[in-house]
Amino acid sequence: VSGLGSWAARRLLLGGAQTVAVVVLVFALTEALPGDAAVALAGDQPDPARIAAIREALDLDRPAYERLADWATGLPHADFGDSLTSGRPVSSYISDAFGPTLLLAGLTVALLVPVGVGLGVLAARYEGRFVDRLVSSVTLGVYAVPEFAFGVLLVTVFALRLDWLPPTAVGYGTDLLGHPAALVLPVLVLLSRPVCSLSRLVRAGMIDALASPYVAQARRYGIPGARVRYAHALPNAMAPAAQQLARTVDWLLCGVIVVEALFVIPGLGTVLMNAVAERDVPVVQGLAVVFGVITVVLNLGADLVAHRFAPRAEVAA
Amino acid sequence: VRGRGGTGERRGERSWLPSGRFALGAALVCVPLVLALFGPLFAGEPGPRATSFTLGGGHWLGTDFVGRDVWRQVLFGGRPVVVVALAATTLAYLVALPVGLISALTHRAWLEEVLMRPLDVLLAVPSLLMILLVASVFSPGAPGLALLVALVNIPDAARIVRAAAADVASRPAVEALRMQGESWWRIAVGHVGRSILRPLAADAGVRLTGVLYLVATAAFLGIGVAPGRGRLGGDGGPQPYGAVRSAVGRGGPGAADRDADDGLQSALRRTARHWPGCHCGTGCRYGTGRRSSWRRCA
Repeated sequence: VSGLGSWAARRLLLGGAQTVAVVVLVFALTEALPGDAAVALAGDQPDPARIAAIREALDLDRPAYERLADWATGLPHADFGDSLTSGRPVSSYISDAFGPTLLLAGLTVALLVPVGVGLGVLAARYEGRFVDRLVSSVTLGVYAVPEFAFGVLLVTVFALRLDWLPPTAVGYGTDLLGHPAALVLPVLVLLSRPVCSLSRLVRAGMIDALASPYVAQARRYGIPGARVRYAHALPNAMAPAAQQLARTVDWLLCGVIVVEALFVIPGLGTVLMNAVAERDVPVVQGLAVVFGVITVVLNLGADLVAHRFAPRAEVAA
Repeated sequence: VRGRGGTGERRGERSWLPSGRFALGAALVCVPLVLALFGPLFAGEPGPRATSFTLGGGHWLGTDFVGRDVWRQVLFGGRPVVVVALAATTLAYLVALPVGLISALTHRAWLEEVLMRPLDVLLAVPSLLMILLVASVFSPGAPGLALLVALVNIPDAARIVRAAAADVASRPAVEALRMQGESWWRIAVGHVGRSILRPLAADAGVRLTGVLYLVATAAFLGIGVAPGRGRLGGDGGPQPYGAVRSAVGRGGPGAADRDADDGLQSALRRTARHWPGCHCGTGCRYGTGRRSSWRRCA
């Protein structure tokens, strides 16, 4: 049994290894595949001039490890190379599109914890009664619907039938804060599945905690119900939920890509999908490194927080 | 199986299922699955093209943007998604089972480190990102997608196999088997492997659902499974929307195996007749087979 310090050190070391692995993997999957990458990238337009241009732009005549070393040394200075299609530096793509994505993800996380925990506590408080059955069956049902299908459903109901909200963010550019109505549906879609899993975990934990001897003892002392629930039972119910939060990071990233594609929001996900469609390898690589490193860092943070909540359970390291 | 317990928990301890609820759950699993797997058999001959986005005229769910019958698209769209998901889950376990069992049963610490540490490192890569990366270089197609999805599932599956097996392997029964001189194979497969079947089955259910989401999401983004491939030429080429339709129409087996609401499915089916946002008429590049061309239509 090692102390918190050595555990954190090992976890940080793993995080460093994961960052290196992400960089190598991104490079290997896009450039070091067997076969001539230039021919593969030319794709729909396999004329020799274009193949030669791609080969020159990517320095494909040099050995793979040299290109990897060059590319990797540029990464810490935010030098991701230039786009194949437009010639603009990849970092300008990223800085342009970062705002909307950060806004979406930030709003989602800011709403996720209070809504998920609140629903879980509500269901646990009325366990077996109507409120609990309602919350449980709705969360179960929504949890089973993939983001893209749920988004389609919400757009059909709230934008096309009821005409309450705009169906997409087309025409608002990156100024989404000025048009909060356009953000409602995307954030709802992003929230749907994480809220469900979180609230179900909190509900299960709260029911266990509320049935425990220490809560019964606290009640016998005449401590008010709200204080028993929030100050005594909830912290113990949060441990499994905190670990689940760490897992939602991956989910959120996938969700952001889908939601941006669905609602046509000009964020990182849209840039990534466009670059994938145009086979613009430097842009894809740059974005993949950004997404990958963000995932590693968020996972690291979430694990440290989860460890604080539940020191007994060893998380990922 | 940390962090997974909440999704399938039941009230009370292993409560005996009332037969009515069981039948409902079984129906929710079987009907979409049969539709997905055997749908093409029911589909029959493609009818003539009708007007876009209309109901009636024998079209149960209406017609899509090029006038094809949506119900037919639903029947055709399910099979590739389900088959790819099943293949990917099987492949992931084919690798994860030996790796997890060996690292749980070995007494050599370095072997366990060598087997499990690289997987810990891989755990950090977002799953959809890996698929998009490969898709930026070439179109992976259905077998490639199955391989990729299996690859991103191996680290987590191997961890769970190892955790479950390590629990069993520390029991006295395994020590006794060892002292009797039983072979490694009999201990690992005959005893430990059989003892962890129950947690593995639970994990496989959750994993298959996750894989289905991932495959369907990839298909929605235009990667891998090209659904709704009616008849090449005569019925229009592959196009990305069939996947959405089939996934929407399917209502998600995840709903089914967690005995969810029946109304959800019919609600989803009802909404499946239109693709919202497309009122563009001409100039729409739907169905040209180019990935992401659909976004230009909104």
